[in-house]
Amino acid sequence: MAGIRLKEITKTYGSVKALDQISLDIKNNEFFVIFGPAGAGKTSILNVIAGITDPDEGDVYFDEKNMNYVEPKDRDVAMVFENYALYPHKTVYENIASSMRTKMHRQPQEIIDQKVKEVAELLNITELLERQPAQASNGQRQRIALGRALVRNPNVFLMDEPLAHLDAKLRNFMRKELKSIQERLHSTTVYVTHDYTEAMSLGDRIAVVNEGKIVQTGTAGEVYEFPGTEFVAKLFGDCEINLIPGQVVQEQGKLYLKLPWENHRCLLPEDVARVLREKEVTTVDLGARSAAIEYFRTPEEGCIQGQIYTNEPLGNKVELVVKAEQAMIRFTVKVDEKFQIDEKIYLRFDMEKCLFFHSDTKEFLTRHQRQTVRGGRGNGRA
Amino acid sequence: MYQRKSKFERTAGIAGTILLVVYMIFSLFPLVWMVITSFKSDVDMYKTLFIFKPTLENFKNVLTTGNYVKAFTDNFIICAGAVLISVIVGVPAAYALARYQFKKKESVAFTILSFKFAPEILIIIPLFAIFQTLHLYDTYLGMIWIYQFIGLPLLIWVLRGYFEDIPVEMERAAELDGYSWWSVFFKMLIPLIRPGLVAAALLSFIFCWNNFTFGLMLCGFHIQTITVSALTYIATDTVHYGQMAVASLIAIAPEIILCLCIQKHLVRGLSFGAVKG
Repeated sequence: MAGIRLKEITKTYGSVKALDQISLDIKNNEFFVIFGPAGAGKTSILNVIAGITDPDEGDVYFDEKNMNYVEPKDRDVAMVFENYALYPHKTVYENIASSMRTKMHRQPQEIIDQKVKEVAELLNITELLERQPAQASNGQRQRIALGRALVRNPNVFLMDEPLAHLDAKLRNFMRKELKSIQERLHSTTVYVTHDYTEAMSLGDRIAVVNEGKIVQTGTAGEVYEFPGTEFVAKLFGDCEINLIPGQVVQEQGKLYLKLPWENHRCLLPEDVARVLREKEVTTVDLGARSAAIEYFRTPEEGCIQGQIYTNEPLGNKVELVVKAEQAMIRFTVKVDEKFQIDEKIYLRFDMEKCLFFHSDTKEFLTRHQRQTVRGGRGNGRA
Repeated sequence: MYQRKSKFERTAGIAGTILLVVYMIFSLFPLVWMVITSFKSDVDMYKTLFIFKPTLENFKNVLTTGNYVKAFTDNFIICAGAVLISVIVGVPAAYALARYQFKKKESVAFTILSFKFAPEILIIIPLFAIFQTLHLYDTYLGMIWIYQFIGLPLLIWVLRGYFEDIPVEMERAAELDGYSWWSVFFKMLIPLIRPGLVAAALLSFIFCWNNFTFGLMLCGFHIQTITVSALTYIATDTVHYGQMAVASLIAIAPEIILCLCIQKHLVRGLSFGAVKG
């Protein structure tokens, strides 16, 4: 068990900067999620922690010990690789047992047997134990790879998209399992994913990575409610956040937000207005998630008019895209709300639930604070 | 659903079989002829009759007189030594070519392959001169050294493909499991490349075993290869075809035995890569 600290890690491959000044402080026994789009450098971070890749610059610490020149096998980390990396010539049993057959972690046969069976049962692969990995499906291979890591009791677990190839039902189940395993083992876990639900449900903290840089680090609530940039805001939430350019105008001592629809403006909440005044911002991007959008079937005060563009049922809810003049606005409604394509709909943005971003730097400016004081999460009607 | 084969399909099947049988007889006949010849006495030699009085005289002559047994042993030592060195050199070389990035990598790989381009006879005179100068002429060391070039390019190119097929993450996973680099190599990589290794090594062995040019030019007094020693049955007055047939028969025996033993690996090894997983 160890805490991990990365200090200004930089790694370049040719002319590509895979990691750029990455600094992370992962606490002991923390479930830390590294989240980002494909090619962001998530796996590279794991490789640096495991010692598979040597950084060009920077330091890796396990607790206070500098690990830069420690061989991967001496770091005592267990890693689940995205492409499984199973040993094709060994049975599933031997794959899982392999670490306990090495000089370093050698165990007597009874203990190996007991541990392998325990893990196999947990991962529901008991019937595969005598087979070869080639005879297993992708989902099963992924579980074998997980098993190979879980039999160990390492300093740190590194997991590279360990649930990516499982079907949806199994993924949900394994997600809960992983969380409980981690709580039981009290182990530091670094978990890489591109699935925001995994990131939010598993992570004690989440680091959002993009283009080799850490964009934001925080708890699930923090990155969702206070995303550092528009980029982060777009990554979280099952229906991408709507970003609408707006102008801040002042009338009779009050600040209004003028949105790109004719004569459409919204009164800004006091605390938001104060921040915008202090920062002297005149143009912002309004970030509106489903929860911040109210919709009506008949014209209402302060609404914009739009038409249903697409209508996509997702089980217990429906994702709508509404075309309002040039803008496309996405949000979800309950499944029992039936809408037809091209049907007229009237939308209102709830300024108290919207996020405000700087329109040039795309950085987070402010939002109305009441919700977080209540401790609620912006669930709304989703 | 079961379907009756059409008349045409049936006729084509029979015709195909007949063709294959004819081809088999065509390709196996020299071998059969050689076996027959080996049992003929010199008197019956030039008669194309299948009825003759078989004799073991030829076998007796070859195995008891002359230096055939010594040539056989010499040949075996040279070929086994050459294959052993090819493997010891070739496996790491193939690994390096598959895994590491270095300057002129493809040129190095191509150069190794190009050893096979020139016919042996083209380089034999310079080699002869070099061997004379280095006192490698007519020594085991010299012969092993030159024979290992016969199989090495094949071995390296086959194994390179095998190594490239093994995901590099598998090696990393083994390292993280606590294996040292040597155990990763011997416990994880070698088992995966074994089919290719066996097939390429066997082929190398056969190529060495059958080599004639180097055996003829680079040795001959202390050491004699089996291909060269088969020549000695061409005497000044007559050609002892019977004894030559015996010598050849015994010479191909190890190859056939080896091939039959590892036939499974031979076909799979050269046509398949390592199992992905």
